[in-house]
Amino acid sequence: MIVSFGHVLVLSGLLFLLGAVCAVVRRNLIMILLGVEIMLNAATIAFVGAALRWHDMEGQVFVLFIFAVAAAEVSVGLALIIGVYRRTGSVDPNNFNLLK
Amino acid sequence: MTEPGFVLPTLTLVALATWLPAVAFALIMIFLRPHPRQAAGVSIAAVSVSLVSAVWLLIRHWHLSAPIHFAVRWVASGDLTIPFGFLLDPVSLLMLTVVAVICFLVQVYSLGYMAGDPGFWRYYAFMSLFAWAMTSLTVSLTLIQLYIFWELVGLASYLLIGFWYEKFSASEAGKKAFVMTRFGDVAFFLGLLLLLIHFGNLDIMELNGPSPAERMSPFLLTVSSLLIFGGIIGKSAQFPLLTWLPDAMEGPTPVSALLHSATMVAAGVYLFARLFPLFSHSAAAMAVFLAIGTISMVAASTMAMVSRDIKRVWAYSTISQLGYMVMGLAAGGFFAGVFHLTTHAGFKALLFLCSGVFIHHFGTNDMVEIGRRGGRSLKIPMVCMIIGAAALAGLPPLSGFFSKELILGVLADRSNPIWVAAALLGVFLTAYYTFRLIFIISFPRISDEVKAHHGEDNHADRSSDRLMDWPLIILAAVTLLLGFFEAPLEHFLVRGLAVIEPAGGHAWVLFASLGLAAIALGLSWFEYGRRGADQVGFVERIPMLYDFFAERWYIDRFYRFVLNRFVYRGMAALCAQNDQKVIDGSIDGLSRGTVNTGRRIAFLHTGMIQYRLLIIFVAMVLLGMFFVF
Repeated sequence: MIVSFGHVLVLSGLLFLLGAVCAVVRRNLIMILLGVEIMLNAATIAFVGAALRWHDMEGQVFVLFIFAVAAAEVSVGLALIIGVYRRTGSVDPNNFNLLK
Repeated sequence: MTEPGFVLPTLTLVALATWLPAVAFALIMIFLRPHPRQAAGVSIAAVSVSLVSAVWLLIRHWHLSAPIHFAVRWVASGDLTIPFGFLLDPVSLLMLTVVAVICFLVQVYSLGYMAGDPGFWRYYAFMSLFAWAMTSLTVSLTLIQLYIFWELVGLASYLLIGFWYEKFSASEAGKKAFVMTRFGDVAFFLGLLLLLIHFGNLDIMELNGPSPAERMSPFLLTVSSLLIFGGIIGKSAQFPLLTWLPDAMEGPTPVSALLHSATMVAAGVYLFARLFPLFSHSAAAMAVFLAIGTISMVAASTMAMVSRDIKRVWAYSTISQLGYMVMGLAAGGFFAGVFHLTTHAGFKALLFLCSGVFIHHFGTNDMVEIGRRGGRSLKIPMVCMIIGAAALAGLPPLSGFFSKELILGVLADRSNPIWVAAALLGVFLTAYYTFRLIFIISFPRISDEVKAHHGEDNHADRSSDRLMDWPLIILAAVTLLLGFFEAPLEHFLVRGLAVIEPAGGHAWVLFASLGLAAIALGLSWFEYGRRGADQVGFVERIPMLYDFFAERWYIDRFYRFVLNRFVYRGMAALCAQNDQKVIDGSIDGLSRGTVNTGRRIAFLHTGMIQYRLLIIFVAMVLLGMFFVF
């Protein structure tokens, strides 16, 4: 085994943290969506590592599912962002507080 | 043939007589709303089968030696079982027949009276409901069963009094009747409970046997008799609960004839006759009953002397005649009371149905108005009404004469002469107010006679009234002939029961009552009938007395006063305060507290997505740490 499972988990955890920080601190809807995507991909890395560790193909199958879901989610999310931008001319999430 | 109908024809007949109207009621309520004519047809068909069954039963069991009873277990709870079934003895057979006959005649009469009414189907539905409840009441096996149908009869009465519910006074009258009879019924129910606890059984046959006197103390027996009599007071409109009956005249006239004179109000007296052996155990209770009957009889007759509303006069006279029956029964004259009940059902229904023709024709209840517009031109109703009135006044040879003489004879047997004196006073008053009405209608004042021709033009619709004449003629014939069946009826009724009947031999009472009735007739002719009479009665010349009678002895005023002072201002005010302060206050406080709490913690809700995300992450991390470590 070239890369140990511990290292894979550390990488995935770091990526997840980065994604979370990005989703929480950036003031741009596109960047928030990007953060969420990074969090998803961090999870896929953990899945791939685990598949290698236990020699089980189910982990890789999950990764494929997550890709598909992520692609669908990004398309819907971007469409929403474009719709919101056309309506308000802004992509700052702090402006969208009508429900308060 | 193995059908039960062949084996047990009696049972089948009773079931037909009592339950067919219930079937008719259900059919009309469910299917026949848009078909008023069919509704009337179904109802009349049911009641005529009921009538045939009842008459058949009466003939079949004319030589009845022991009561027939049939019971199935209805409720069993612990060691208490309540059977449900039929009890046929002479009293119930006679009452069943009377009820069925009057129900049938009134329903046929109503075809004419109610024609064109928008609530025609509803009317027949309620009439069927009443017929079912009343016939079932008469053949009830236990007091519980009787009580159930007693209340159903009250319900039918409420619905029919308020039949024209758009009229405020009618719905008010219905409410008044319902509430006032309920007072009596509460007492009745308490009496039932007392009997159930101390006697353990509500079977009418056992209650009428010798066992209650052995198993209950005389005091308890008296108390329960008095409580049950409370129900009789309410239902039969005796003093002091008598004021609902005159107001009940807001209902259609056939309803007044059926429910509020001939059958339903007589249910109270019927209950008295039913439990006569039980009540006779307690002399004290019987004395109270006698006093109450006497007061109601005299009070209602005086009220009838000043009323101008034709139906109200008959209503008051109903109360006073029911008072007579209660007097007769309470004085120990079982047959006298039941016989008067039977004859009264006939002639009072006749009187009401005749007045119904006048009211239908002239559109007014005012007897002076009817007389002025030519009431006497309606020949058949007028003649029938005079027959009924003469029976009410106790003139021979009509049925009322025989039954009233019996009651007077029983009362004359009492050692205390006050009862027979009061009854004779009642005879005088009855004859006076009855013929006052007849003379006012048939001899209108000369100055008004000119206008009589004004009323002639609406004779066109007389053809539709023909249907209403037949019940009148039949009832008039019954009134004429029933008195001569006194001996066979007495034989039929008294045989099974060991009741000591008075020896009779009070010829002076007969002559005194006839004399008094004749004097009263003469007096009312002098004041109302003779040419040039000013139609002002001697009561009206004494304003104080007139007010006293017209205000119904201030009984209603007294109730209104009590209601205002104690119920509205006392209890109702307390309840309102409890409602506003305690219940409303606590609920308001609760909601105000919720709102305030919400305001206070609303700062957490910033409406910014990213803060929420942050909080979600922090919470997840903290939870993860909590569960992992």
